[in-house]
Amino acid sequence: MGGRLKIALLLTPALVVIGVLFAGGLVVAFVQSLGYVPAIGMTDLTLNAYREILSDEDFFDSLVLTLYVSGVSTGVATVLAVVAALALRRSSGRVSAVVFQLPITIPHLVAAVGIALIVGQTGLGARLAALLGLVGEPGDFPALLYDEYSVGIILTYVWKEVPFIALVVLASLRGVASELEDVARTLGAGAWQRFWYVVFPVISPSVVAASLLVFAFTFGAFEVPYLLGKSYPTILPVMAYNEYRDIDLSARPTAMAINVLIALITGAVAALYLRLARNLGRRG
Amino acid sequence: MGKKGGNLGLAFAAALVALPFVPLVLWAVAGEWRFPDLLPTAWSPRGVAHLVEPGGGVLGATLNSLLIGLATAAASVAVGLPAGMAIGGYEWRFKGLVIFFVLLPILVPPLASTMGVHVTFIRLGLADTVFGVFLVHLVPTVPYTALILAGVFSERTGELEEAARTLGASAWQAFLRVTLPGVLPGVAVAGLFAFLISWGQYVLTLLIGGGSVVTLPMLLFSAASGNDPVITSALALAFALPAVLALVLALRVLKPGERAGGFVGPGKVS
Amino acid sequence: MSARLELENVCHRYGGDEPALENLSLAVEPGELVALLGPSGCGKTTALKVVAGLLRPTAGDVRVGGLSVVGTPPERREAAMVFQKPLLFPHMSVAQNVGFGLRMRGTRKEEAGRRAEEALRRVQMDGFAGRSPEELSGGQQQRVALARALVTEPRLLLLDEPFSALDANLREEMRELVLRLQREGGHTTVFVTHDQEEAVILAGRIALIFDGRLQMYDRPEAFYDRPATREVARFFGATNFIEGLAKNGSAHTPLGDLKLGRPAPPGALTLTIRPEAVRLEGGENSFRARVISASYLGTQVHYELQTAGTALRAALPPHVRLAVGDEVTARLPAESLWVLK
Repeated sequence: MGGRLKIALLLTPALVVIGVLFAGGLVVAFVQSLGYVPAIGMTDLTLNAYREILSDEDFFDSLVLTLYVSGVSTGVATVLAVVAALALRRSSGRVSAVVFQLPITIPHLVAAVGIALIVGQTGLGARLAALLGLVGEPGDFPALLYDEYSVGIILTYVWKEVPFIALVVLASLRGVASELEDVARTLGAGAWQRFWYVVFPVISPSVVAASLLVFAFTFGAFEVPYLLGKSYPTILPVMAYNEYRDIDLSARPTAMAINVLIALITGAVAALYLRLARNLGRRG
Repeated sequence: MGKKGGNLGLAFAAALVALPFVPLVLWAVAGEWRFPDLLPTAWSPRGVAHLVEPGGGVLGATLNSLLIGLATAAASVAVGLPAGMAIGGYEWRFKGLVIFFVLLPILVPPLASTMGVHVTFIRLGLADTVFGVFLVHLVPTVPYTALILAGVFSERTGELEEAARTLGASAWQAFLRVTLPGVLPGVAVAGLFAFLISWGQYVLTLLIGGGSVVTLPMLLFSAASGNDPVITSALALAFALPAVLALVLALRVLKPGERAGGFVGPGKVS
Repeated sequence: MSARLELENVCHRYGGDEPALENLSLAVEPGELVALLGPSGCGKTTALKVVAGLLRPTAGDVRVGGLSVVGTPPERREAAMVFQKPLLFPHMSVAQNVGFGLRMRGTRKEEAGRRAEEALRRVQMDGFAGRSPEELSGGQQQRVALARALVTEPRLLLLDEPFSALDANLREEMRELVLRLQREGGHTTVFVTHDQEEAVILAGRIALIFDGRLQMYDRPEAFYDRPATREVARFFGATNFIEGLAKNGSAHTPLGDLKLGRPAPPGALTLTIRPEAVRLEGGENSFRARVISASYLGTQVHYELQTAGTALRAALPPHVRLAVGDEVTARLPAESLWVLK
């Protein structure tokens, strides 16, 4: 069997699955966003859907909210992850393995439900506040679910993604960074100097790469905001879903246009990540 | 930081990780838990009983989740194994491009593509069926199995296969007797991953299953949107169980520090 | 500047992955180059890290210039260390790497840059100042690492198998460089290696360590001529061990009575002789033997000689051609026989 033919045959099943079910779906979504939905008699190609959403205040409210939720989640998770990785870099073994792996493996919905039962107005947090005499009844406790600041959503994302970023940071801390730190010590660098001149520059590319992944994921994720978010404005994926579910099928191109924009934004972030990851790989 | 400081930090981190499970466990067995009480005032097996209640729907949904998860795991290993072999085991042109293409479904949210295929699925009669749901579950799982197995194959030098060939094995025999047993642990990890990703899928099942295919997360979501924390918590714990089991298994089988080819996206198991 | 280094009863135990150290005591004179030699896992790197301050001894004392440094963190010991891997900071240029130690001590940028250039010249890397570490070969990187350590004018220079990752030619070149730099700079230097040839070439004295214990600390030639124990002798390539009984100036052995160069206390003893010292001639301490194997090594031929009750190895120049089965007369000169303790 020829080498090239063999490679092609080996790749075919995976490329067919991804090509048809993912890329094909994307293409259909894009075509529908241009107003081509023959099933309901729409066959003209237009940019109306894009024009419509880009002049729609609701869309911008959603976009801002989405950027806010994923931006804050990513930022908070990144800072906490770096701190956690630095604090826990020397503790190894099973306990720390469980601590880092568990939130990564647990489904988002479970985390969202657990956190809702803590930060909700009758949750553990409110009960503790009542015990301390801070609140009298549930309504006194600040609303952290379905709220303006999306606190519940952000907390869920932070709980899920801190360990992911921390593991990436830990890998580079326990690898070459700790050896470089030893070198710096014997050359006379104190603790802050070591962090600032050696550890931080060495781990920052992988921190940025992991953060980009988290940003792309939270930007396009659906279920946590669908469960814990307020009904207006919603984040973009929920908005797209609502448009898609609209009984009025002429909303279909709008839903798809939102989807295409989500895909473009996350795709751009992903491309940035891949570039960074490739450079990291090249450096070894 | 000293060892003691590290242990203190670890205990703190462990407490934060465990925190969301505290209300879940308490609610799942609570009978009565009124507002200002810090602990339930009465206990009840109602939540747990709901899980195994015949005709309660949970057993059926669990069966659906298991069926779809196992089928997805098997199929995505079958599809991902040859792809991983091509990517990890050989050098060829346009490899970077193919890796990018395989990675895309992980990096770009699946909402757009799934809504895109929905029309076609309706036309083909795949919408609202278990088989249709299984098919879309391949989208997020195949990239993972392919890339995990690519990692496994890239660590193989091919020398063992060459040794087998010099000892008289045919190419096929060498693959069957040497390569396959060598990558089996990687295959198991990839399959486990695919199962967990499928098990955790909500939005794909929602879109393609259209409410007719009821899996555990469907039940959990509607419970969570309702007002019965006892049922919600019991379902949430049942839903989390495979992840916990997988973690225990992974910790027993894998050495500390070694895992899943080092390729874990954020929250993709969700 | 260069300081005397003393280790006194240094112990290191239960340190996780680090091999243990048991009561290691040795002194390195100012400007001396000492090699810590031993098989991998013997604790020599542990000892070096204890000196650097990267590991804390569980017992014992480390003194530099007469003052204990056990409580001093590595960054204040002025003990620059070069590791097995070059470990250049990947985000800094070559010059920034070399100037790092100076900058940490508050030297101004221009001054640090100037001295970095100078140090690079000393390791024959001038012209590379602006490069990025990843553009350099392994050997060049290790030269930069050496310059980075030397530029701080450390009181101690610690080298942890710095050339073991390089190929043979490069390794030789680097040894010469280290010897020259050490002669010029007069740094008190501790060099860890598992390669006895490297230790012999570089070191003024060798400390041989097995299982965390110091076996012998002496000048390189002593390890060939006067090994302390059978294990030491074997580590340095000795293969000939002859058991016997000492009595007034000679030893009663399976080879007959052998005259000794130095008197030995009466009783059981073990004699050793280097294969190169075995002669093919008659006279004192000679005996008949049969050649049972010959291996040609280019500059030498190794023969295994079977005699009454024992086998000996002899290394002879290649022009002496013996065949397997030849009967020869061999002699063990009395002055080359060494009595092991």
